[in-house]
Amino acid sequence: MTEDMYDSRKTFGAALTVEAELDERIVALSADSGRSSGLEDFRARFPTRYLEFGIMEQGVTGVASGLATTGKIPVFCAIAPFVTCRNFEQFRNDLGYMHQNVKIVGRNGGFTYSDLGSTHHSLEDYALMRMIPGVTVLAPQDAGEIRGAVHAMLQLTGPVYMRIGSGPLPQLFPDDDFVIGQGRHVREGSDVTVISTGYTTVAVIEAVDTLISEGLSIDLLCLGTVEPLDQELILGSARRTAHVITVEEHYPRGGLGGAVAELLGGSMPVTVDRVAVPHEYVPSGPYAGLLKSYGLDAVGLEAKVRELVTQHRQVGAPNQDR
Amino acid sequence: MSLTTTELALAAARARRLVLRMIEAGGSGHVGGALSAMDIVTALYLNELDIDPKDPSAPGRDRFVLSAGHKAMAQYAVLAHTGFMPPEVLDTYGSFRSPVPGHPDMHKLPGIEANTGALGHGLAIACGMALGARLDQRSFRVFVVMGDGELPEGSNWEGAAIAAHHRLDSVVVFVDANGLQISGRTRDIMDMAPLGQKFRAFGWEVDEIDGNDMSQIVEVLARLPLSAGKPSAIIAHTVKARGIASIEGTPGSHYWKPTPAELDAAIREIEAQVAELQVEATR
Repeated sequence: MTEDMYDSRKTFGAALTVEAELDERIVALSADSGRSSGLEDFRARFPTRYLEFGIMEQGVTGVASGLATTGKIPVFCAIAPFVTCRNFEQFRNDLGYMHQNVKIVGRNGGFTYSDLGSTHHSLEDYALMRMIPGVTVLAPQDAGEIRGAVHAMLQLTGPVYMRIGSGPLPQLFPDDDFVIGQGRHVREGSDVTVISTGYTTVAVIEAVDTLISEGLSIDLLCLGTVEPLDQELILGSARRTAHVITVEEHYPRGGLGGAVAELLGGSMPVTVDRVAVPHEYVPSGPYAGLLKSYGLDAVGLEAKVRELVTQHRQVGAPNQDR
Repeated sequence: MSLTTTELALAAARARRLVLRMIEAGGSGHVGGALSAMDIVTALYLNELDIDPKDPSAPGRDRFVLSAGHKAMAQYAVLAHTGFMPPEVLDTYGSFRSPVPGHPDMHKLPGIEANTGALGHGLAIACGMALGARLDQRSFRVFVVMGDGELPEGSNWEGAAIAAHHRLDSVVVFVDANGLQISGRTRDIMDMAPLGQKFRAFGWEVDEIDGNDMSQIVEVLARLPLSAGKPSAIIAHTVKARGIASIEGTPGSHYWKPTPAELDAAIREIEAQVAELQVEATR
């Protein structure tokens, strides 16, 4: 890990521009969203492969499908709720059902657009996207994984949804070892399994390391892919610890926690605690303040994991579906 | 080789008979819209589209996108007529895993370009195809058949803006304006008139024809694009369920489940039209 921090959107835009240099099938689509998605340089270098449509995410998703039928690889990046909720039917039918090779990137995911309010938050995107058969759902966890995931999604033929945040991220993992569907076994332990995804992983690692230094034995799995889930990694860890805690900046229903609970409920009933954003419309405010208020910063996560492990040891904690 | 107007009308009558063949197999279906659009779909496939049933995914082929996916029986009938599948496939209509389902599926049948059915999707997909052609410097055209009942879907107008802004004169829309939808008259349910002016306001070139008059269809096809640099919209005024007098112009024909006697009568009626046109075509 380096100490440098990287802007999520610029990292994405730069990575896509590098790929576009190598593969002329790549086309960037903008719903007045290209500049904020870090695609200024892409537009300057490949003006004919940068297509602007104005604010119409349904239309752009349909266009992406049509372009893909001609062999292009369209990449459409905009604010996460508008490329998952607004255009859900186009995603489901024109990309999913038609099996089109289109990459949709939801930026400012979760509640990273904190002060803009719930219209601009995306706390159900993993759930929505993983409900569509054949859609791969990526949630890169650091700057290295954003680069790696961009490369990997372009190598995969088929529809992909990738969520990125907006803020600066460190580099925790290398650029070149991102494998779709394969999680990382970041810490090994036997008391509890902690599973994280997306940019939340940065705070999770910090919290887990503090708890490990206090003597807890934690198995930490960090997943850059929500769908397909790394079942083998999760089942192996749950078998050892019999207690799983998932952490994500998403509602507790249907996202990483939902996916893990579905997996373990079917094949290995162990306690699954889902640490997530309560199922409510999140108030607006500074991002750090929101994270703190929901206990999703490193300090809050440390306390929450400690509490859940203690509870589990005492009584076997009940599921919390807030 | 271009067919004459009479030959096209004969082909459309035969295709209408194939629609009833599907109803014989499946028992019911979206007959009204399939029959109102049949003359347009027939003329496009037989005289206009640069396509080859032996090479249905040739990169330079013209595209046909049926935005109003429920009119699929019109497309299936013409695809069978033009050799994309043996007509026997139509006898699977309504059965488990049929390659000709209620709405078209590109992965089940060669010649289908998009999985439509949810209304208001076709035009944006067509624009993407046209932009792909432009990027590859190909000259293929993209024809879209829409229903007037689907025009209240806002996504259509996103597509209309895209085609005009990007000057996609390779995009041609036929609006099968039969004036009816499942619950009644389109003008009573959501009046989108005047359709031509709406498309014009978006930057399209527009013409209006009788969409069940083969000579008018042929004439307008010869003038495409209607204006260089602009997408073309042809408002084709049609009669729902055209060809079956007992249900023509009725909203009930939208999804028709005939009794055996009704179906027999309709088959006799269409077969008489075929016979009459055969005589005319051989004159």
